[in-house]
Amino acid sequence: MDLTPRTSTEPGAQAPTRKRRWLPMLIVVGALLGGGVVVTKFLTSAIDYYCNVDEVGVRSGCSGERRMRVQGVVEQNSVKQADGGTTFILDFNKKTLKVAYSGDPGGIFQECIPIIAHGRVVNGVFESDRIEVKHSNQYVEKNAKRIDQSNKEAAACSVLKG
Amino acid sequence: MAGQSGTGTSATRRLGIVVILMLGVLALCGLWFSAEDVVQGSTVRIMYIHVPSIWTAYIAFAMTAVCSGVYLSAKNRSLAWDRVAGASGEIGVLFVAVSLVTGSMWGRLTWGTYWVWDARLTSTAFLFITYIGYLAVRQLGGTHRQRARRSSVLALLAILEIPLVHFSVSLWRSLHQEASVANPNAKVELDGLMLFSLFLGLIAFTLLFVWLLLHRQRAMMLEDAFSDRGLDVAITARRNEAGA
Repeated sequence: MDLTPRTSTEPGAQAPTRKRRWLPMLIVVGALLGGGVVVTKFLTSAIDYYCNVDEVGVRSGCSGERRMRVQGVVEQNSVKQADGGTTFILDFNKKTLKVAYSGDPGGIFQECIPIIAHGRVVNGVFESDRIEVKHSNQYVEKNAKRIDQSNKEAAACSVLKG
Repeated sequence: MAGQSGTGTSATRRLGIVVILMLGVLALCGLWFSAEDVVQGSTVRIMYIHVPSIWTAYIAFAMTAVCSGVYLSAKNRSLAWDRVAGASGEIGVLFVAVSLVTGSMWGRLTWGTYWVWDARLTSTAFLFITYIGYLAVRQLGGTHRQRARRSSVLALLAILEIPLVHFSVSLWRSLHQEASVANPNAKVELDGLMLFSLFLGLIAFTLLFVWLLLHRQRAMMLEDAFSDRGLDVAITARRNEAGA
């Protein structure tokens, strides 16, 4: 007896047709391709070495004029903006690096905040074309008492820098 | 479900009301009562949606894996487990999408970019794509049992990505910050009402997940019954033909 589901005249009794399965198949293929693209992008973005400021010129992969990502803290009173560009000093483990960025960094970029700059060292200056501002996992309510505390810490930061 | 026209019951309706009330309180706490962050300003308010979304997605995918495991290991192999697994997977995908969108908005305002191929972001995107694939595999056709068997195996593999996503910020140098509550130092890094709002969000979103799951798995049961009915009609028609 042939039990292949057939189109029925009764509403709602229609069996699923083969045509309907193309979309899930395409989605599965799309998911496989998408997964491949995501992994590839992650791996290619990791090609640029991720260096701390104190590793620049010292650690293998962090020297020369090769493209890299440099992590550090923006030194207080070092940010200068002119001719559409921004220059500042990046600080990490008592080592500093001058950074020249072609534009306004955006985000919550400010002094005494950790950032990651993408670019390369040219004549002792890190010429950056991309800046990402790091945020710590600390969330502090904004209020007068805390702002005072923050100002004290900023003052202490500048004293430490001499 | 006899005599019932939809997927709701008095219990789900009551749960729905609780969820709406909690989401309302969350909106008030998140947008009004809780203070701005000293560095981020009002951008911090995105966290009250972003973190509960990914938390709910983790729960949903864990539920998918547990139900899939029970389906494969149970003697009777009840399809109810598979339907709960599928429904939970769908809801999980929805919440990962919310988490990716809100995270991207937060990233633009805080990091200065919508997206970076960072370990946390990449692994979350991969998780999202994996579960889209899972949902597509469920729709590939065959009998309900074939669907349940192949999707259960996939769900048990896909759940292995969750620890990778969660610990990616510790395993790799990441732009994404480490956890503020469930971190290895067991130190809570959120002030007063921020912490309360976040926990309220976690509870509200978890209850929302339960509510959605109850409705969706019942809708799936009706879909399965509907499709079985089509087969029953075909069999009856052939039997009638053979008997004629």
